[in-house]
Amino acid sequence: MQDTVLVVGGGPAGLSAAANVTSAGYKAVMVEKEDVLGGAPILSGYAKLVPSGEWASEAIGRMVKRVEDDSSATVHKGAKVEKLDGEAGNFTATLTNGETVQAGSVVLATGFTHFDSINKPEWGFGTYEDVLTTTQVEQMVASGKIACPSDGRVPERVCILLCVGSRDRQIGREWCSKICCTVSANMAMEIKELSPETDVFIYYMDIRTFGLYEDKFYWKSQEEFKTKFVKARIAEVTSSGDGRLLVKGEDTLVKRPIVIPFDMVVHAIGMDPNADNPEISQVFGVGLEKHGFLERAEQYTNTCGTTRKGIYACGAAYGPETIDDSIAQGAAAGGRAVADLHALVQKAG
Amino acid sequence: MAIHEKALIEDERLQQHDELVVDGVDVSGHWNTMIAPRTVRDYDDDFEKKIQGFVGGENVHRCWQCGSCTNSCTMYAQNVQFNPRYWIYLTRLGMKEELVKDKDIIWQCVSCNKCTNICPKDVKPEGVMKALAHWMEEEGITEKAPSTIFDEEFADQIYKTGRIEDSKVMQNFFKKTGQPLVQDWMKTFVFRMMKHIPVKHLMAMGFNTVHTPRTKSWGKTGEVLKNYVREQKEAAHG
Ligand SMILES: Cc1cc2nc3c(=O)[nH]c(=O)nc-3n(C[C@H](O)[C@H](O)[C@H](O)COP(=O)(O)OP(=O)(O)OC[C@H]3O[C@@H](n4cnc5c(N)ncnc54)[C@H](O)[C@@H]3O)c2cc1C
Ligand code: SF4
Ligand code: SF4
Ligand code: SF4
Repeated sequence: MQDTVLVVGGGPAGLSAAANVTSAGYKAVMVEKEDVLGGAPILSGYAKLVPSGEWASEAIGRMVKRVEDDSSATVHKGAKVEKLDGEAGNFTATLTNGETVQAGSVVLATGFTHFDSINKPEWGFGTYEDVLTTTQVEQMVASGKIACPSDGRVPERVCILLCVGSRDRQIGREWCSKICCTVSANMAMEIKELSPETDVFIYYMDIRTFGLYEDKFYWKSQEEFKTKFVKARIAEVTSSGDGRLLVKGEDTLVKRPIVIPFDMVVHAIGMDPNADNPEISQVFGVGLEKHGFLERAEQYTNTCGTTRKGIYACGAAYGPETIDDSIAQGAAAGGRAVADLHALVQKAG
Repeated sequence: MAIHEKALIEDERLQQHDELVVDGVDVSGHWNTMIAPRTVRDYDDDFEKKIQGFVGGENVHRCWQCGSCTNSCTMYAQNVQFNPRYWIYLTRLGMKEELVKDKDIIWQCVSCNKCTNICPKDVKPEGVMKALAHWMEEEGITEKAPSTIFDEEFADQIYKTGRIEDSKVMQNFFKKTGQPLVQDWMKTFVFRMMKHIPVKHLMAMGFNTVHTPRTKSWGKTGEVLKNYVREQKEAAHG
């Protein structure tokens, strides 16, 4: 009799799935490749989360604790699934740490990989010390101080470039990463809070602070924190020769070239498909959609399904996703997985 | 190559040497015409705040450039150079030189407030037009508007005497704005007034015009008031 769900990935989505499985009275086995649980918000040290405003370490920390303290949940850290045998209702997973796990159904919560800014060399990351990514600035904010890495000075002017590694055919990324506009608007406010004399500019093609994020983040950032939004896709970041950075582009609203000095340039990096996805696709026998994320089954009646029966997915594994929605999807995928087990119980009579 | 369509380029961006020989080739005059690039090299981070210090400009930072104001604008329908959206953008980024180029049209706003009624961010573009016009007057970029001259004359008399003498305000206003001191409408006005006002009143009025007495115990009040107004202005406009 199968009473176990295998949850792969210990980020917000996986943690939510596991908690949902055990709260329904079943067992969850979590396999996480890193040595800590929590996924991107913990691994990359995010500061305050959108939209709750809670510190990532506290909010996601609660999710981690809930699973780690749960006697019905077993956690394998620093491990991956190497092989999956069997079929829906009766899977056997072999882990890289040598253990095997019997499970009736599987939830893939394997998330995403941050875009590596090195792939856009014209924007100066890796060349200039004061060009950073949103994950690095998240860590800076969490540490309570905004400073230019080159010489430790407090920046007079910071610019955030949106859509770095998203919406760009040149590098084969034809998706919007969904959360980076809101994260950037929020980050501008965090920077201003830490350093009121710093002016923050956001260079955008579109602002996509969807739903309730509109006034809470975009408007607030602009109206209360004086963030300036400039419609331009930056062409190049170079050095000014006197320790500052020059941001070049076209201001599309005035139809004029711009070359503006900044002290710090931040890339709002996007969400790539998990670099492990080809391997995950092979091991679990699930399809990938054209961008390389996990392929979603027909959503209306096979919610959180994949192309394989008995294997469900949730969160950023499917495509760019927010934490809150990843958590909701984790709960839904956990529910589907549990329903499969429950059906087995009934069949066994 | 010689540039012929100079009409499309602002004068100050055309660069040309009358006499120039390069590598033995005579390229004098229009053969060496160059156009200075229009690159924006910096923002003025404090300018937006400055305009916010003028009445009406307070909400300029809210603008997200949707263009609704320009679309609805009475003046834009007359002249497509009248573009509140654009000026608000220049204000936000501090592109003063660009604003100054439009100094002769910005003041033409007729305060119909169509823009104010349509703006989704409640920027009050009409107020921004007013604030910009006042900033330009204050900086001497545009001449003082007649209304400003009137206001100043009005205030001046109050500072001096604690009261205003209508006929004096009018006379000085006409003088400063180069209008004839005696105008037809005034003749009619005075003539009709004389028919109805008691002689005693008329005499008092005449006396006041010549003598202009101060309000009782006005003392230093005018001085204090003037300083206060100046301080308030400085606090608002820097
Ligand atoms: C800079 C930045 C800031 C952000 N800030 C916010 C925010 O404030 N609010 C918000 O809603 N969203 C934010 N996001 C988005 C947020 O990161 C994602 O929504 C969230 O991490 C998705 O959760 P997940 O569990 O699906 O995936 P992840 O967080 O990516 O978790 C996946 C987990 O699976 C593990 N894993 C991967 N592959 C394997 C494998 N083969 N075997 C075993 N384990 C594996 C990973 O190690 C990881 O622990 C931000 C994103 C970025 C880039
Ligand atoms: S959310 Fe905003 S920054 Fe991110 S990819 Fe979409 S449009 Fe670009
Ligand atoms: S209508 Fe309002 S928000 Fe839109 S461009 Fe005009 S001032 Fe800006
Ligand atoms: S108030 Fe001025 S700017 Fe606004 S619509 Fe009328 S004329 Fe145009």
